[in-house]
Formats: sequence, structure tokens, C-alpha cells
Amino acid sequence: MQSQILTWITFLPLIGMAVILLMPKTSMNAIKGVSLAATFVAMVLGTWLYFSGFEQRSLAEIQAARAGGDILGAQFVQRFDWIDSIGAQYYVGIDGLSVALVWLTTVLLFVGVIASFGMEKAGKAYYALLLMLEVGILGVFVSLDLFLFYVFWEVMLLPMYFLIGIWGGPRREYAAIKFFLYTLAGSVLMLVAIVALRLDSGTFSIPQLTELAVSGKLMGASLPAHGVLLGMDFTTWVFWFLFVGFAIKVPVWPFHTWLPDAHVEAPTPISVILAGILLKLGGYGMLRACFPLAPDAFHESAFALGVLGVISIVYGAFVALGQSDFKKMVAYSSVSHMGYVLLGMAAFTVWGMEGAVLQMFNHGTSSAALFLIVGVVYDRAHHRDLNGFGGLSQLMPRYWALTTLGFFAALGLPGLAGFVSEAMTLVGAFEAKDTRFQVLVLVSTLGIVFTAAFLLYAMQRVFLGKKNAKYEGIEEINAREVFCQAPFLFLCVLFGILPYLLLDWMHPSVQNLINILKVQG
Amino acid sequence: MSNPYLEGLASIAPEIVLTVTALAALVFDLVVKGRESVRVGYLSLAGLAATAWFLFGQWGVEAHTAFGMVSIDQFGNFFKLFTVAALAVVVLYVMHDRRERKSGVGEYYFLLLGAAIGIFFMVSTNNLLLMVLGFELLSLSSYSLAGFHKGNRKSAEASMKYVIFGGLSTGIMVYGISLLYGLTGTIDLSLMATSPNLVAQVGSNPIPFGIATVLILAGFAYKISLAPFHFWTPDVYEGAPTPVTTFLAVASKAAGFGALLRFLAALFLGQGATALGGYGERVALMLGLLAAITMTLGNFAALRQSSLKRMLAYSSIAHAGYVMVGIACMTREGFSAAMYYLAAYYFMNLGAFGFLVYFEGVTGSDTIDSLKGMGFKAPLISMVMVAFLVSLTGLPPTVGFYGKYLLFVEGVDEGLLWLVMIAALNSVVSLFYYLRVAKALFLEKPAEQDAAPAPVLTGFVTVLGLATVGLGLYVAPLESWASRSLDLIRGAAGS
Repeated sequence: MQSQILTWITFLPLIGMAVILLMPKTSMNAIKGVSLAATFVAMVLGTWLYFSGFEQRSLAEIQAARAGGDILGAQFVQRFDWIDSIGAQYYVGIDGLSVALVWLTTVLLFVGVIASFGMEKAGKAYYALLLMLEVGILGVFVSLDLFLFYVFWEVMLLPMYFLIGIWGGPRREYAAIKFFLYTLAGSVLMLVAIVALRLDSGTFSIPQLTELAVSGKLMGASLPAHGVLLGMDFTTWVFWFLFVGFAIKVPVWPFHTWLPDAHVEAPTPISVILAGILLKLGGYGMLRACFPLAPDAFHESAFALGVLGVISIVYGAFVALGQSDFKKMVAYSSVSHMGYVLLGMAAFTVWGMEGAVLQMFNHGTSSAALFLIVGVVYDRAHHRDLNGFGGLSQLMPRYWALTTLGFFAALGLPGLAGFVSEAMTLVGAFEAKDTRFQVLVLVSTLGIVFTAAFLLYAMQRVFLGKKNAKYEGIEEINAREVFCQAPFLFLCVLFGILPYLLLDWMHPSVQNLINILKVQG
Repeated sequence: MSNPYLEGLASIAPEIVLTVTALAALVFDLVVKGRESVRVGYLSLAGLAATAWFLFGQWGVEAHTAFGMVSIDQFGNFFKLFTVAALAVVVLYVMHDRRERKSGVGEYYFLLLGAAIGIFFMVSTNNLLLMVLGFELLSLSSYSLAGFHKGNRKSAEASMKYVIFGGLSTGIMVYGISLLYGLTGTIDLSLMATSPNLVAQVGSNPIPFGIATVLILAGFAYKISLAPFHFWTPDVYEGAPTPVTTFLAVASKAAGFGALLRFLAALFLGQGATALGGYGERVALMLGLLAAITMTLGNFAALRQSSLKRMLAYSSIAHAGYVMVGIACMTREGFSAAMYYLAAYYFMNLGAFGFLVYFEGVTGSDTIDSLKGMGFKAPLISMVMVAFLVSLTGLPPTVGFYGKYLLFVEGVDEGLLWLVMIAALNSVVSLFYYLRVAKALFLEKPAEQDAAPAPVLTGFVTVLGLATVGLGLYVAPLESWASRSLDLIRGAAGS
């Protein structure tokens, strides 16, 4: 079974979904039980995979694998033909970039199911869609075949559309369709690029495509007109098509406008999953299937990407400062935090890249915690107006304590996880070969200030000050809610103190990625 | 069996069975006097099953010609089998359409079967005269079918529009054929491309040949409703009874594509390509432009529709545009992709129209608003409808996605990147209106009325839905069938 573990993890939720669909609508407890069981087993497998199954290879070992045709040094590889006529394969495997994200996905979905128990409206269809979503996300993280990757990428969209559209807030329909249209617009561009890559190389295998790309053999030579489009050469347009597809998901400014809408309207568990893991797919996609497939174009546009990253950092934080809706504020903070990911990757240094991957993981935990925090107060007060509370620290002291921890993790307090990854991306960007990145780092410090400002300002308005008489009898955070938040806050502390628990896993893969991309640049 | 006449009869056995069935349906309807019209439906189904049996008998038979004009080959077989299957589904829809039960519908089956005979001859001949005859038989049956609701103004308007547009475009097409006949001295497509007269004429002055091609293509463009020959489509599709719309949108349109593919393959692929030099490329460019206009116009017009039926009509225009991407490649692979997409088109559109038949029966209306909340009243058929919508949009893992993928691959490979980009962006536009249906079904408050169950209809539609998803995951059989069917057309064109 070990060799098939990725398939098991990925499709276990699908089995759960099938079971749920066969169950009668009325037996809600059993449906919840099945969802819980399916995500729990997936989480156990994911945790085992991360801490025990995944073998930490040295850089030399990964490089040795290159001779065997696998430039990434992937583990738990399973590979067989799927659609012969076009050469699409079922090809899965994980390396240091994906293993942590697979683990995080399984944890987040498990917590997502528990957090959903508080939703009265959530019925059979809700849990079925949630599990289908998990299949899509895990599938993207484990796919090493571009066609398979794309299929899983699109499989995610429909459940998300319905989860926001049926169980969301008042403007849910607008938010759901906006999410879907934005993502699809990006992914059709991706599809065209994938088609072009396939025609040029004759393969969908990501390791093989990477190998070809870094050795300069993926230049559109076998395409009509050498793949030149409107004066742009093949690699440039392939790069930008893929990049825009992933950037919409991240989301990078100026493709971010779907995110605040989706977050505000989505129910709490869905916001948690959206911020915690869906956004990471964009960053992961860039590292896996965009930069390595068009390295020249990546190096040429690195500064432009850095600029986009910094704009996201500063703009996201600045706009968050102006929000009066608690959830919208957290949503914009995601735009800001994901900006670091892009900045770090664009810098193309070991620290920058590693910081970016780390930041993805850390943002996954801290933003999940923040959205759960918003959910707690929303469930009680039925509004999220930051100005409508006041003095909650006296009424809900335990909740306040947890919120403080979450806020500090988000604003990058040393000792908590966010600090390590943000610092790493900034240092990495400062060290970049292109000295213009130093200016970008300077500008992005503005984002840090704004982030601290909006979080503390929100803290002040909601928790400090005069007690709002309206919420005199408000219920303290309950055990289930604490149980949901605990793992994320725990991980924020753990990886703030022991970041090597993540770094050691990803380091060889990141180093390998930098080495292979450098050959050209 | 040395008698060529008898051998010819054996070759057209499916057509004979179909004709006998049509006549039997007509007579049987008189016997049962319209009250028990369901029985006529069963008779038609039996006839279709027998036809399919004969068609399977011709599976893998070497391509040959019967009576000097009917080509029996895999290509024709591909379209005939899909026509029979589509017709069977349409007959089942007629039998389970709550609204159709009210009037005596015996003639319905006769006309549908008559249209199928037209399709059979249309897709399996290199003889342009026979092709036009088949074309006309299909059209005449369709005119009557479109106007089947005699008392209904919209239905009458549909029929009238259809007759006028149809008559005009057939006239144009026949004129084009007469020019081509004048240029080549033959009416047989397989001989035309290599006709010395034509080659000499195109060499000195290609204009007459160009005019003839454009006129003939205009006739085809009408049948497959390419812009700017599509104006009849929304009105006819809306006015006609829904099962008839299904037939027109699926079987009739695909048959038009079948004849078009045969025409283009004979003239511009294989031997024709060498004889007529680069002329095929110019035609391809024209077809590419038509494709771009058609899909863009279809999709943007569909955005504004409030009636699901009209929306599906415009969506079918857009899909004709997608298919044209493959045809505009002017390669065997491109044609093969177009055929795969047509097969995908059969599954997803038959299903989507089946859903429409069901909901018109329930709500008595075809507006998208009347679907509100129906997803909770009739969950299974609504979920399956979402699968069709996903496939129509072209998202994995469905047959529609794979079809679109193949079209994109061939388009990029032939340097039609601009067209592929337009098609890709069009998919995004189409998502918007397809999702309006999903939104009405699941995202809005349930309406008052109850959705009466229709287990049989739901059953067929579910089967089509499973095929839509299943064939998207396991694509090998359909794809190899589509491409093998094309090998034979090329052989026939070359022989």
C-alpha cells in the first residue's frame, strides 16, 4: 500500500463522498460521521506521510535521481498510462515542495468538517461537495502530469462554486460566479499553454518538461511559426499564460478582486479552506508548473513579478486598514501575505524561495485561525462590523486570548511562524542578484507597518474600550471552536520556534529547483 | 449473390428498414387513431433497433459504393449510428413529454423517421445530387416538425421562417453545385478533385471555383447554423416542440457537419490537396473566420436569454463554432477532432434537452427563472444537468472538455493559435450563462410547485450524464472510433 499511498490519500475523500451520496438525507449524524472519518483517515495518512513516510533526501540524492529521468527527485511515485492517444498519464508523486502542503490540506479539511458541524443549514450535499473539494486540492498537489494537474485543478472549481453559492451570505451568487469566472479565465489560458507545451515536447510529464525546459529544448521549435504569438516568443507567452492562471488563484494584485467577495460571502469553514489552502495552489503551481517550464522568461520577468508581489503586500495591507468588515479585513490581509510569496520566489535566492514556501504554509495556518476567529464572533452577533463591538475582552477573555495569539501570528511577531517566513523572504529578496530588489524590500516594509496597524486597530475596536451593553450575555468560545483553532495556533507557535521542522523537508527540493533553473540564467 | 442489384440492396438495408418503419408507423397510427400513440413510439423504437442491428452488420465492411452513388463506409456509419441513437432518445422524449401527450402525435414518428432517412443518404454519398436529395428530405420533414403545434403562433412562425430560410439556402447551394458541375463535368465528389478541367481552371482563374465553393458552403452553413446564416436558429428552436428542437439541434446539425466534412475531405484533403494546390488553405481561413464569428456571436447572444430553450439554441450555435475550429485545420487530425467533438455534442446536448423536456412538463414554462429551487425538488436530474453544463462549458472530467482539448491541440498545431485563443476565451463567456441555470437550480429559493417525478425520463438523462462524465475519463474508445471512421473517408476520397 505504501507505494500507492498518494492515490489512497487523494481518493479516500471520494469514497467518502460516494458513501454520503448513497445515504438518506435524514441521517445527518451518520453523514457527518462519514465525512469526519474520511477526512480523519486522510489526515492520519497525511501526517504519517509527512513525519515518517517521506524520506528526507540530500541534495546529492535528488540530483542523482535526475539521471533516472526524474529531475525533481519525487517520492511515492505511481505512474501508468491513462489516455494513450495523447500520452496523458496518471503520474503522481511528492517532493519537498508539496509534502507539507499535502499534510496541511488533510489537516485543514478535517478541521473544516468539524467547523461545519456548527452550521445548521449544511446538509448532505454540503459534506459531499466538501469531500469532492478535498479530492481536487490533493490531486493538484500530487500530480506530476500536467494534464492530470489540469483536470484536478478544474475539478476543484465546481464544489467551491456551490459551497459559496448555496451556503454563503447575502451576495453569495455574485461572489460564487465571480470566483468561478476569474479562475476559469485564468485556467483556459493555462490550458492553451499546456496544449502548446505538449505539442512542442510530446509529453505531459512535469519532470520531463522541466528537464527539456532547463536544457533549452522547449522553445516552440516544432510549432508553426516557432510558436511566436504577436511578436512574443514561445517561452514568454507560455510563461505569462501559466503565470496569470496561477496569479489569479494566489491572488496577485490586480487579479485579486474576486477574493474579498468570495471570502465575505463564504461560510466560515469554506473561508478557512479557501484562505488556508486554495490560495496556496497558485503559489505552488508557479513553483511546480510555471517557472521551471519557462525558466528564461521567468528570469526576464523576475523584477516585474517582484513589483507585483510588493504591490500586493502594500496594497492588501493598506486596504485592510480601511475595512470595517472583520472578514473583509482578514481577506485583504491574505492578499498582502501572499504578496510575500511572490516576492520571495521572484528574488530567486535560496532564502527567498524557501521563505516563500514556508510563508505559504504559515499563512495557511494563521489565516485559517483568523477566519475561525471571525466565525466565532459572527455566529454569536450575526454581524461582522468592527465598530459594532467593543470591550469583548471582558466578556470573552478566553476568546480574546486566542485572538491575540492569532493576530500576533499574522502580523509577524518574532517567535511565531509568520515572522520567520516573512523575514526569510525579505532577506532573500535583499540578497537577490538584481539590486533593484533592495528597493522592493524597502517598499514592502511599509506593508509590515500597515499590517501591524490594521490588526491592532481591529483588536482595539473589538476587544478593548468600553463594554458594549448589547453583548452582555454573549457566550464564551465553546469547546468545539477551541478544538478547531487549537491545531492552527499550535502550529503557528511550533513553527515559529522550530521552523526547521518545515525547512529541513523543503530545503533540498528548493535548492534543487534553484540549481536547475540557474543553468540557463 | 452475384447480382449487383441485390448486393446494392443488401448494402442499403439500414435505409430500407428505416423506410419500412416510417411507413409502418404512418399506417399503424391510422389503426390506433392517435389515442394510443405510445404504441407507435414503441414500433419506431423497434425499427430503430433493427436499423442499428443492420448498421452494426456493416461494421468494418470495406468501403464500397452501391448503385453507383451510395457510399458505404465507416464515416457514414459513424454518423448513422449516432443518428439512430439520437433519434431513439428523441422518440423516448416524445413519449415522455407531458405536453405532447395532449395531441395525437402519431405523425410525429413518421416525420422523425423520414428526416432520419434523409440524414442517412446525406452522410453516405459522394454524389452531390443524392446529397441534396437527402438534404431536402431532412429539411421537408423538419419544416413540418417545427410547425407541429398547429394552434401555436410561435410554432407556426418557426415553421414559416424555417421554410423560407431553408428554401433560399438550398437554392444557393444547388446553384453552387451546378457551377461545380459545369467546371468538372461530374457530379461525383470523388472524381471532382482530380478532374483535369477543374485543375486547369483553378490554375488559370480560380474565381469560378471560388464562387461555387462559397455558395455550396453557404448551404452547409445554413444547416449547421454558422453565423451569418444562423438567424433562423433561435426562433425555430424556440418555436418548435422541444423534442423536435432536440432533433434539430443534435441529429440534424451533426448530419450537416457530416456532409460538410465529406465535401471538404473530397475536395481539399488527400488527392484534392495536391491537385488544387494551396486552395484549401484559403477555404480554411474563411472557415476559421466563420468559426470565430459564430462562437463569439452565439455565446454573447446566449448571455442575454431568459428562456432556457433559446439559450440552448444560441449555445448550439456557439458549439458549431467550436467544431469549426477542427474543420478549419484542414487536416485529417483536425477533422478527427471535429468528429470527436460532434460525438461529445450528441451526449451533452441530448442530455441538456432531455432536462428541458422534463422541466417544461413540470413547470409549463421554459424560462430560467421558473427553474428556481428545482434542484432541491428533483435532485438527481438537476445534478445530472450540472454535469451537462460542465461538459458544455468544457471543464474536466467530461467528454466536452476532452473534445475541446483535442480541438485546441489541432488548432495550435496548425498555427491557428488566434482561433484557439478566441475559443478559449469564449468558454469563459459561456460559463457565465451555463452557470445561470445551475444558479437557478441550486442557489435560489425553491418555488412553490412540486416537481412530479418522471423516473423513466430521469433514467435516460442520467444514463446520458454518466456517459458524459465516463467518456471524459475513459476516452480511448470514442476517440479511436472517430479517428478510424476518418481513415475510410480518406480512402474513399482517394479511390
